[in-house]
Amino acid sequence: MAKLKFRTLDQQSPSFWGLIVLHLVVVATGLGAALYMEEHGHIVTGMSNQVVWGLPHVFAVFLIVSASGALNVASVSSVFNRLAYKPYARLSGILAIALLLGGLAVLVLDLGRPERLIVAVINNNFKSIFAWNIYLYTGFIAIVGAYLFVMMDRRASQSAPTMKAMGWVAFAWRLILTTGTGSIFGFLIAREAYDAAIMAPLFISSSFLYGLAFTVLVLLMMSRETLSDLMPEEMVEKFSGLLMIFAFTTLYFTIVQHLTKLYAAAHVGVETFLLRDGGVYTIAFWFGQIVIGTLAPVAVLFFRGSGFSARSALTLASILFLFGGLAQMYVIIIGGQVYPLKLFPGMDVSSSFFDGAVGSYVPSAPEVLLGVSGISIAMLIAALAMRLLPFLPQAEPKGS
Amino acid sequence: MNKRYAMAIDLRRCVGCQTCTAACKSANATPPGVQWRRVLDLETGEFPDVRRTFMPVACMHCANPPCMHVCPTTATKQREDGLVTIDYDICIGCANCVMACPYDARSIEHLPHYAYGEPMKSETARFDAGRLGVATKCTFCKERIDQAAITGQIPGVDPEVTPACVNSCISGAMHFGDVNDANSNISRLLADTESFRMHEELGTDPSVYYIWDGGDQ
Repeated sequence: MAKLKFRTLDQQSPSFWGLIVLHLVVVATGLGAALYMEEHGHIVTGMSNQVVWGLPHVFAVFLIVSASGALNVASVSSVFNRLAYKPYARLSGILAIALLLGGLAVLVLDLGRPERLIVAVINNNFKSIFAWNIYLYTGFIAIVGAYLFVMMDRRASQSAPTMKAMGWVAFAWRLILTTGTGSIFGFLIAREAYDAAIMAPLFISSSFLYGLAFTVLVLLMMSRETLSDLMPEEMVEKFSGLLMIFAFTTLYFTIVQHLTKLYAAAHVGVETFLLRDGGVYTIAFWFGQIVIGTLAPVAVLFFRGSGFSARSALTLASILFLFGGLAQMYVIIIGGQVYPLKLFPGMDVSSSFFDGAVGSYVPSAPEVLLGVSGISIAMLIAALAMRLLPFLPQAEPKGS
Repeated sequence: MNKRYAMAIDLRRCVGCQTCTAACKSANATPPGVQWRRVLDLETGEFPDVRRTFMPVACMHCANPPCMHVCPTTATKQREDGLVTIDYDICIGCANCVMACPYDARSIEHLPHYAYGEPMKSETARFDAGRLGVATKCTFCKERIDQAAITGQIPGVDPEVTPACVNSCISGAMHFGDVNDANSNISRLLADTESFRMHEELGTDPSVYYIWDGGDQ
């Protein structure tokens, strides 16, 4: 097998610099929005006592879930020994770290007291899944960092057993991490929309999909930027196939999640709300997650080559999958909160303080800015890393 | 055996006047929109024999509190006398406890705001910046209960060391005391009546009992 070569992102086009500036502006406005919310309180957001996790959490969880999935390509190459994916393993690793940092930045800035983050490390409640996640996230960054070192160090990369072992550790950790993220919701017995063991595998399958979609889009962007074909036709086909499999897996878990809830009479109310009567949440589910975010991109990939190129189909499908991912998180996180707590099973409850009533939530501009800035933070970190170190594969010259 | 403070609310007597809600607000200086105690309005019975039933709710001070289990920083704690407390100094405002509480008993207030826009003298005097950006909830008026150890008075019997809502109840529907003391007023009341607790099926073991006989009396 030919020796793999890697390169840095050493030449940038004006349009790339334009994109960097745009990301910097988004990050600056996002930080400004966080400062504004910190100064004025969550009263300037759409959040309330009914909806305590708003749009920033939607973006944060989406990015954290995507981060573990972005490690797919590296795992496929070293754990499952698929050599075709090896050139992308480094990019996959750094993108995983970048996405996680983007998500965590948003999550931390949306806390009630973000300046006390260190308190969460000093005073730890090991019974809290939230506390576990602190270690899962920092552990992920450390392990993927070590994994990247093994991949990039001349001597360590020669050791196949070391590479395999690191690959397995990273793969296992990313599964545990996403289990932890899904279980934040799965362990919430008070909320009817959550309280389900399936939340963990659902989040894992979603992570595969969104992480790979992010990786594909970054690779396509870098192909354009480096004026080289980083993704040959063979890989376009492989990535398209993988995305379809992950989309169907996520759809399968989504169907099982809702069918299980619908089967239990106690949860029919919340399911009727989400799937039929929930207004914006029903629209977000059926049109955002299912039609635009799953069926349409799968159709685009399935019929690739007929009408527009397979590469264009992959680009469009990846964008749609990410849109579907945001819609999915919006329905899970916001839809699950606005549905009223069942204080008294079997009885209609009302009060002067919103008990028994569906909560209202309209995201405010600062929330949108903070949430979107998470994506920009991730992209800037990835771009900086690719500028400094050889994470990008070196395309073989044509005809070689 | 340790004390376990609990509340018993006689739903046959509650008239939904919200005096307990107002007393709680006054005693704990909660801002507008934050209700540590509120009264639910339910319809009970079978048509045509239906009636309104009022149900005061707040933190249930569960023996097995889900809010404490999910708290990442140990800010939510449980005292030996069963009271579930929040250490405002180490709460990071992640809201996981708000999501985990099956009784919707917790609030997070991010900005000081006042009943009439500008703070009144009383609001300024009782403003507590430590409560901003962190989870808050009913404390069973723990400062009063703690006084009992100094004065030798009995919570639930002596008004000075009894929660404000219990003192204020106009119909005598609310009772407070140590359920681990078989001779306490609340233990005897619960022994003589039928009662239930909210969401017992979740295994939270709440410390608020609702006296109810189906509404026949």
